[in-house]
Amino acid sequence: MFIDFFYSLRNAGIQVSPTSFLTLQKALNMGLINSLDEFYTSARAILVKSERYFDVYDQIFAHRFEGAELPEYQGFEIDDISRAILDEWLKDPQTLAQALDVDEAELLQLTPDELIQYFRERLNDQKGRHHGGATWIGTGGSSPVGHSGDHPGAMRVGGVSRNQSAVKLALERRYKDYTRRGLLTQDMVGEALKRLRNMIPVGPEDKVDIDKTIYQTMKNCGEIEIVFSKSFKDRLKVILAIDNGGWSMDPYIPVVQTLFDYARDQFKDLKTCYFHNSVYDVLWEDPARANKPIPVEHLAAFDPQTRLILVGDASMAPYELMAADGSIHVEERSGKPSIEQLKFLAQTFPHSVWMNPASSQMWDYTPTITTIRQIFPMFELSLDGLEEAVRHLMAK
Amino acid sequence: MEGNILNNKFSGATRYILDNELASIVNVTMALEMPLLLKGEPGTGKTMLAHAIAESLTMPLIVLNVKSSLKLVDALYQYDTLTRLNDSRFGDSHRDVSNIEDYIKMGKIGQSFTSKQRTVLLIDEIDKADTDFQDDMLDVLDQMEFDIIEVDKTMKAVHRPVIIITSNAKKDLSDPFLGRCNFHHIAFPDPKMMRKIIGVHFPDIDSNLMENVVTMFYRVREIDGVEKKPATRELINWIRALKSDPDFNPKALIKGDIPYLGVLFKKSPDYERAVEATRRSHVI
Repeated sequence: MFIDFFYSLRNAGIQVSPTSFLTLQKALNMGLINSLDEFYTSARAILVKSERYFDVYDQIFAHRFEGAELPEYQGFEIDDISRAILDEWLKDPQTLAQALDVDEAELLQLTPDELIQYFRERLNDQKGRHHGGATWIGTGGSSPVGHSGDHPGAMRVGGVSRNQSAVKLALERRYKDYTRRGLLTQDMVGEALKRLRNMIPVGPEDKVDIDKTIYQTMKNCGEIEIVFSKSFKDRLKVILAIDNGGWSMDPYIPVVQTLFDYARDQFKDLKTCYFHNSVYDVLWEDPARANKPIPVEHLAAFDPQTRLILVGDASMAPYELMAADGSIHVEERSGKPSIEQLKFLAQTFPHSVWMNPASSQMWDYTPTITTIRQIFPMFELSLDGLEEAVRHLMAK
Repeated sequence: MEGNILNNKFSGATRYILDNELASIVNVTMALEMPLLLKGEPGTGKTMLAHAIAESLTMPLIVLNVKSSLKLVDALYQYDTLTRLNDSRFGDSHRDVSNIEDYIKMGKIGQSFTSKQRTVLLIDEIDKADTDFQDDMLDVLDQMEFDIIEVDKTMKAVHRPVIIITSNAKKDLSDPFLGRCNFHHIAFPDPKMMRKIIGVHFPDIDSNLMENVVTMFYRVREIDGVEKKPATRELINWIRALKSDPDFNPKALIKGDIPYLGVLFKKSPDYERAVEATRRSHVI
């Protein structure tokens, strides 16, 4: 039963396992599911394991059980925009007609479907706002806007005829928000960095060491001797170097700030320093990069077990990386190209990563990113990227 | 037993408002004997659900609060070596030193297995533990048995507990883990639901106050850039604060005069942002 449904979920990218599909069959056979409503909720609980897919599930469900249209793959973003325009249009046809430079009377003749189609074509012409992507957002003809009595044409509302409430729920698409990726909050960073630690015994000896206690007691012929030991605390040394200069880093300030806040809370032994674009002769301890320079050579004196995390978009003109006088700041030019300094850092600290806030899909388009990736393992500054980076930093 | 579960359907408890969707998920999950994984914003009542199920089905509730340092064996059982050592030295207890079983104490999961009655086992905030813990634990819950190595004995569950697992994490749990659970995401309650929830907590609340409080609550939740949005728990505390203030006038609320913002916003940048935003709306 419902094998088509199963495959359409899988085709839509939801990881539905055959086992969970069999579980659903079991539930059906046990007579637990007696209405479409119950089928909607139970099948979702059993088959779909993340709220990120709830929206896709809603769409497939509406399609399978009510014949609502599935969105076209390319059409989704435009759909959202055109729907927004349609909403505006219903509120105030005149202004919008003017804004789009069309005749209001002409638009009034169109049915809502035609209207959406019309807006869509107009938006397609206007390439500027179309970004494209790979997930589904937006349904084609299932917009509920038709409820507004404003418009002379009548709209087919979401293809619902027999109107079961489950389908209504599915068409409402309440979970749309969860499909988008949220900001990287401090909690999420904390989650990802939790495993980045190095446990060392510190503090007072206040923990009972059972093995030693038993050993000592036996040695004392059964006279109990309780042995205490120190508890383990995290003493990981971290150097966090942040690219805080230049407009190219501006869009990423909030996410870097989050990382920085967390690092300051979490790591007892943290050194934060700053650079612009790439590392030249010095790193700076002050964010203004003016007063407290640390020559890169001095870092050789640090514990080589220190974890070095560089954060930056690694995007610059190639000569800034390669040329001996590449720095755009004259006072930082010593004759060693930045790429040599980076190699020196990578050798000094075997556990190092470069976190890049730019999306990894864009990395191949920037030559300096490719170059730096050969020196430092590079990870995207996102939840998944952080986790991979931590795994790399903690590898022996 | 089976028929008993089916008849014994969960339909809400005295202090918990349940929507139909969640009720049917809970019932299907109980009948399928699978753990139910609940996700959702803090304050949407994930933990409360387990309490409510236990209450309405009159089963004892066993809570396992997961910590990052928790090892699976601690959740199953504990071998109290120190007490045994002590007893062997002084021998003044009723326990039999030569019998290791006397020194095995059941952990939370162990308790839910050995209980004579069917229990509700709440595993709270599973995301705090690492992935290995999660997968290993699911093995135990799948098999409904575990071994006590020290006495070479297998503990089997007398009654399969009703297992509720909660997670706050934005990231997904591992695939094998998810494969063995049913999943539900509790969305933040809409205003209508919220009024019901408030009604349960404050049966004698003035309708005027309720209206204004709910309106304002959803308005302040909309304030941009807030990291921790106030949730149901904050709202209930806030109402409690408002009710205990004799000078408080519900009408002042809609005008944008909001006292005790600190109850709603607990992070200082959030608080400042909220004060700023409400002052602005006040001027308008």
